Amino acid sequence: MSAFLRYITTRFFAAFTTMLLVSFLVFTLMELVPGNCAERFLAYKDTQGLKITAEDILAEEIRMGLDQPYVIRWANWVTDIFLRFDLGESCLWRVDVTQLIGDKLLISLGLSFVALLLTYAISVPVGIISANLRDGWFDSSLRIFSYMGLALPNFLLALCVMLFSTIYFGETMTGLFSDAYRDAPWSFAKFADMMSRAWLPIVILAWSATAIQMQTVRALVSDEKDKLYVTAARARGQSGWGLLWRYPSRHALGPVINSVGYDLNRIFNDLPIVAAVLVLTDAGALLLDALAKSNDQQLAGAIIMALTATIVIFNFVTDIFLALFDPRVRKGFF
Amino acid sequence: MALFSKAPAADKDVERDESYYTAGQYTLIWERFRRKRSAVVALAILIAFILCGVFAPFLSPYEPNAAGRNADYVNGAPQIPQFCDAAGCSIRPFIHKVERYRGADTNFRWVTRPTEERNYVVFFPSGWDYKFLGLSMDRHLFGVEDGFMHVFGTDSGGKDIFSRLLHSIGVSLAVGTIGVLISFVLALVIGGAAGYFGGWVDTILQALMDTVKAVPTIPLFMAMAAFVPQEWSAEERFFFISMLLGLLGWSTLARRIRTHVLAERNAEYVLAAQLSGASAAQIIRRHLLPSFTSYIIVDLVISFPYMVLSETALSFIGLGLKDPVNSLGVMLQNVTRVDVLLNYQWYFIPVPFFIGLVLAFVFVGDGLRDAADPYSEPK
Repeated sequence: MSAFLRYITTRFFAAFTTMLLVSFLVFTLMELVPGNCAERFLAYKDTQGLKITAEDILAEEIRMGLDQPYVIRWANWVTDIFLRFDLGESCLWRVDVTQLIGDKLLISLGLSFVALLLTYAISVPVGIISANLRDGWFDSSLRIFSYMGLALPNFLLALCVMLFSTIYFGETMTGLFSDAYRDAPWSFAKFADMMSRAWLPIVILAWSATAIQMQTVRALVSDEKDKLYVTAARARGQSGWGLLWRYPSRHALGPVINSVGYDLNRIFNDLPIVAAVLVLTDAGALLLDALAKSNDQQLAGAIIMALTATIVIFNFVTDIFLALFDPRVRKGFF
Repeated sequence: MALFSKAPAADKDVERDESYYTAGQYTLIWERFRRKRSAVVALAILIAFILCGVFAPFLSPYEPNAAGRNADYVNGAPQIPQFCDAAGCSIRPFIHKVERYRGADTNFRWVTRPTEERNYVVFFPSGWDYKFLGLSMDRHLFGVEDGFMHVFGTDSGGKDIFSRLLHSIGVSLAVGTIGVLISFVLALVIGGAAGYFGGWVDTILQALMDTVKAVPTIPLFMAMAAFVPQEWSAEERFFFISMLLGLLGWSTLARRIRTHVLAERNAEYVLAAQLSGASAAQIIRRHLLPSFTSYIIVDLVISFPYMVLSETALSFIGLGLKDPVNSLGVMLQNVTRVDVLLNYQWYFIPVPFFIGLVLAFVFVGDGLRDAADPYSEPK
């Protein structure tokens, strides 16, 4: 048991170090954006007819603590995030970033998780079946599908879906809410409205990850299938799907579970672009807005941190999960 | 070169002549590669794409930017050369001329409509000037006798989509090449150092690789691409974007190089080199790298399509390349508008070509990977 606790602690510290490094990376990037928050905010005020002088900018910089050295500001930023979940203030809108991205981030994470679930719900069984029917027509059509998953990136798929739905149904199928509910407060009806439209972005987000993961599952199961312990099980009289599920598949799924974090990464990668194509007003689109239109570095940094934190937490959880459920790893602990 | 010619692929008991056992590594890889039909076809297609990119100015009838626009044929449909029409057939392919027309039947608005007049296709006409290998040239593969011909139609600015497509293939390949080369150098230095020195160097560098790998790249690309000041020229943007792709794309390759170095580090020949007084950099470069060059080439080919796709995604959302430079992403920027979706579907013609380009890379990469693996060979 104590070995297990020690394992959890090491994993936790590894995850924590990664997050620290990520925060440093993200903070440095935010610093590299030409101009700082104070200038940006005041430049915005300038457009509203107010006269801004160099002293005003200096005063604003001091108020925001921008006159302090780089490392100290980074330390402040990180401790605020880790200890108080305070992501700072948006450069442009002067609202708490947490408040600004709160429910949008939740929607995006929700979409991504459902897409992730869909990825595994499809790729694991189909990959296993395909490994068992190696080199048949099912297998080869699956391989073509996997290649398409790589060659047709999600946003191109979204474009094609839009093209066909416009031609054949006269509707672009974009947006996450219908007009009636866009600005309405959260209610069950709004949720139902969202769900009736959310299936398309979810399927599109899951597309590449599914295609690639399917190929991985197939390769892993194929490798395990010819090993001696499977032959031994067969000699003991096991056969058919039961054998496939009990022996090679269970062994093959370890690496698959381990890669959940990276699949989530893949889905997050597609999120902003798919969001832009399908006009979703979630965090992905917000990030696009923050960067492309307004250079709001506080907001952009906060979103990247939140996305990366989710991935790192997922990696941590799957490590623990594997340690608990993989008998080979568990043996060392209990 | 016919090392395997005697042996049918299905035959497990392959007969080999003497040349097989004395063939070099690259000869063996090529021979294994050659036997996989899908990979060979993909290689041919890939070479065709590369040639298209290199000879784009010659192959495209018009300039791919505002200078080559046809103001009279904006958002024009593709004009496919034909041999026959109502007036009979001809051996020379032709298209029909178009005219600008305004009248009561069009509500007095200007429309472009085809006429019955034939416009014959000509080969090697002189057109716009371009530089090729330092030579100034003005010959192009094809054109028409009079006016313009747009095989893939035109966009909202009247620019020829066919010409833009050819140039964008070249740009995508160039972005990918620069990106892959930069990430390769970084991966080599970081992965090589991690694998060779081991210990705490390895721990730190691995933490770095994990970090870069955990951050979702596209949002990070977006964050960095937003630095590009608006007043930068198209060329500066191009190099900046290619550099970005390289700077963020090295982690997977670095990990693989680390594994290779780690596996080879304790071999006797490395010890021999160390005892002869070779420095670390020298050992990595002269002794370790050549032992897995083929694997690195394979990895580079495999990572190439990812670079191309990232560039496309970035340009598509307006943070990558910008208009005078053509790339698939730039060309697709405006296609989400409903009127484009409904009326101008030829904007999508470049999409299948790019799917083809990426697929060609993937198949060549897969073929090379199998060919470079000495254990994949039938015994």
